Amino acid sequence: MNSRILKNIKKDFLIEFRNRSAVNISFAFAGITTLSVSLVAGGTPFPPVVHAIIFWIILFFSAMSGLAHIFIREEEEKNSLFLSLYYTPEEIYISKLIFNVVLFLSISVIVTFLYLFFLQVLPSYKFLFFLTVVSGSIAIASVTTILGAMVSKAGSGSSLFTVISFPVLLPVLWTAISLTSVSIDGSGVQEYRNIIFLLAFSGVIVSVSYLSFKFIWTEF
Amino acid sequence: MQNRSISIKADKIEKRFGNALLFRNISFNLAKGDSFYITGPNGSGKSTLLQILAGIQKPTSGSVIYKADNSEVERDCYKNFYGFTGPQVNPYDMLTAAENLKFTSPETVDEHLMNGYLEKFELYKHRSKPVKYYSSGMKQRLRLIHALLNDPEILMLDEPCSNLDTSGRDILYRILGEIKINKIIIIATNESGDINLCSKGINLEQ
Repeated sequence: MNSRILKNIKKDFLIEFRNRSAVNISFAFAGITTLSVSLVAGGTPFPPVVHAIIFWIILFFSAMSGLAHIFIREEEEKNSLFLSLYYTPEEIYISKLIFNVVLFLSISVIVTFLYLFFLQVLPSYKFLFFLTVVSGSIAIASVTTILGAMVSKAGSGSSLFTVISFPVLLPVLWTAISLTSVSIDGSGVQEYRNIIFLLAFSGVIVSVSYLSFKFIWTEF
Repeated sequence: MQNRSISIKADKIEKRFGNALLFRNISFNLAKGDSFYITGPNGSGKSTLLQILAGIQKPTSGSVIYKADNSEVERDCYKNFYGFTGPQVNPYDMLTAAENLKFTSPETVDEHLMNGYLEKFELYKHRSKPVKYYSSGMKQRLRLIHALLNDPEILMLDEPCSNLDTSGRDILYRILGEIKINKIIIIATNESGDINLCSKGINLEQ
């Protein structure tokens, strides 16, 4: 990988590690929401589709609480011109995308383990469940990275971020919920093909974002 | 790279924000060895003009053309030629001075050169301290090191002396005096010391 992209990713992780508030808030949100759902459920057996809906709602709002931060911080702390003077828009986009994918996969792993443990869910198709979480998380991170950049430039913070993210993420959530439900109840192994939809969706979003990022990030 | 002939041509630059005219009909040519000041009252557009010359902002009309060895340079590549600093250029507060400098410098930049600049600007002993603990004068010194470190052919400095004490100004003037013969230096300023350093300039009030 390009050493400049690695340098930028390293910088973002270093800053997040030293200023842990944003990442900690995301992890705390994911953990507390999962625990709250399990406490409220109180051992009630939900049908697989309800589990799938609750699981992806938790993941969606965990993404909303943390993934726009990587761009909003550059604007709020007035570092964006400094960054733009030394890095091309393409390098900035790729490094922020990788940061968000890694961060959201970490959040997803934590939510998954907590959810499966506290709500006593054991997916019948474990591999399909795993693939759904990974490909759905990549799709959510891809969408939220470019929307985070737009929102940071609009200067309207995270409230607008949630509003504009939801309609764009609807096909991802719809597919991921359906796949998760199937993987829990063990019906319809043919649903594997929908994983391709989630990965293709991410591919399209990343391609379009890569090409358009320069126009979002710079004035020209 | 320093042996290239480099020039900047500003042609009838105009900038408006909505219907409000900031400046218009600004034209000049700069070549290696020129040092140019942009002065004018607050709000006259000094920083905006400097950012237009750097390709960071877009003029409402007119153009800026960089030429290297008589070949026109694409706008996306302007930043390979200049070091830019100003109040809007903020290194990361959570990183140390050394980490910020490593983040912005190419692999080819020698650590000795970086330490040399840190020593020149009297920041060496603070190099491992996060920038958030720096005073505004120390931050300004760090900004200037960033602009100078890659040995750019063009230096664009927006209010370079702001927050600097007498010693900081002396260091800056000494360095600019040493290097200006081989570079194009453009300074947006209202400080007489900065203006005296330049061979020509423009007053946006007129």
